Amino acid sequence: MAGKHKDKDLLSRMHVQHAQDKENDRMDTGSFEAVRSRPKRRGWSNPLKTRLMTSILIALLCGLLGFGFALQVSNSTSMYETMSEEELTRLITESSTQVQNLEQRKSELTSQLDSLKKAADKQEEAERIAKVNEETSGLLAGRLPARGKGIVIRISQGSKDKVDAATMFQLLEELRIAGVEVMALNDVRVITSTYVSDGKEGLECDGHSLEAPYTLKAIGDPQNLQNAVNIAGGVGSRLKVKFGSSVSVTPSNDVVIEEIRTDKAYEYARKVE
Amino acid sequence: MAAVLGLIVGVIIGIFVRPDIPIFLQPYLPIMVVAALDALLGAGRAYFERSFSDRVFVISFISNVLTATLLVLLGNQLGVGAQLQTAVIVVLGIRIFSNVSTIRRFIFKG
Repeated sequence: MAGKHKDKDLLSRMHVQHAQDKENDRMDTGSFEAVRSRPKRRGWSNPLKTRLMTSILIALLCGLLGFGFALQVSNSTSMYETMSEEELTRLITESSTQVQNLEQRKSELTSQLDSLKKAADKQEEAERIAKVNEETSGLLAGRLPARGKGIVIRISQGSKDKVDAATMFQLLEELRIAGVEVMALNDVRVITSTYVSDGKEGLECDGHSLEAPYTLKAIGDPQNLQNAVNIAGGVGSRLKVKFGSSVSVTPSNDVVIEEIRTDKAYEYARKVE
Repeated sequence: MAAVLGLIVGVIIGIFVRPDIPIFLQPYLPIMVVAALDALLGAGRAYFERSFSDRVFVISFISNVLTATLLVLLGNQLGVGAQLQTAVIVVLGIRIFSNVSTIRRFIFKG
């Protein structure tokens, strides 16, 4: 630059120099290339590729989340493995307490069942006895009809005299001694309180008048009953000899006594507890 | 878009494949799921605020899951696992609620 203006005078050279300096001073430093603090991202220069990769990564992470979620939801049945020690001990204590309670309840119920069974047995036994008693006492009291082996005695009206009550009652007594179980005289059931009396028109038995011929049905051992009537000097021969009536005794395997009595209501007597 | 797709695919795989979870992972899986859910909702909120960054999302997702798991692991080592698990669940639950409310505000304000 100095050589260029060699021929000029000093003043003009100084002038030129000054102008040049001014221009140089005015030069902007910002026009220099700025050094960036961080280097540009390396690799993946293609922005499309970068976006693809990140979205794949996001999808993967979200997939993991969904996977874990679904797994946890479907796996909720086996919870014991994830429980801590305290929880497990608490669980065991709780369940053992529950088991104890249930055992206690079970034994209570078992004893209750036992007592109920016992009561039912007792009830059954009492029922059975009552049934037997009912039958026996029913037969005895004349409440029930009866059938069985026995004899049928037919006594016609005496030709010499009317058959009197004492003889008829003696016949009943003889049969009782011989072990008769059920008897019926004509259509009157003979029970423990049966009486026979002489009425105006013949015999009366428990309020019913008896018509000759008399039919006495008796259930018991036929042989014994027959003997009791036919024994020599007994009530049978007395009927024949004294009253002149005919006495026929026919043993039978099936004597049916259908005459019954209604129950007597006891007013004063009570059973002894 | 990718997130929703991945979520659906993951749920389907989880329902149909149903593999056995390793026993050491079983106590931490629910915590991990909740933490990841929190990260996902945070990302949704950032998306609505137009400040969503995929890198931030990936890092927050992983760090959320890891932090929650490590916290519960630490609690198990110290013998306060159950309490710490509750604490983590509570904190993440609060964050999920706040994120959801922010997203809701964005949606209903337009």
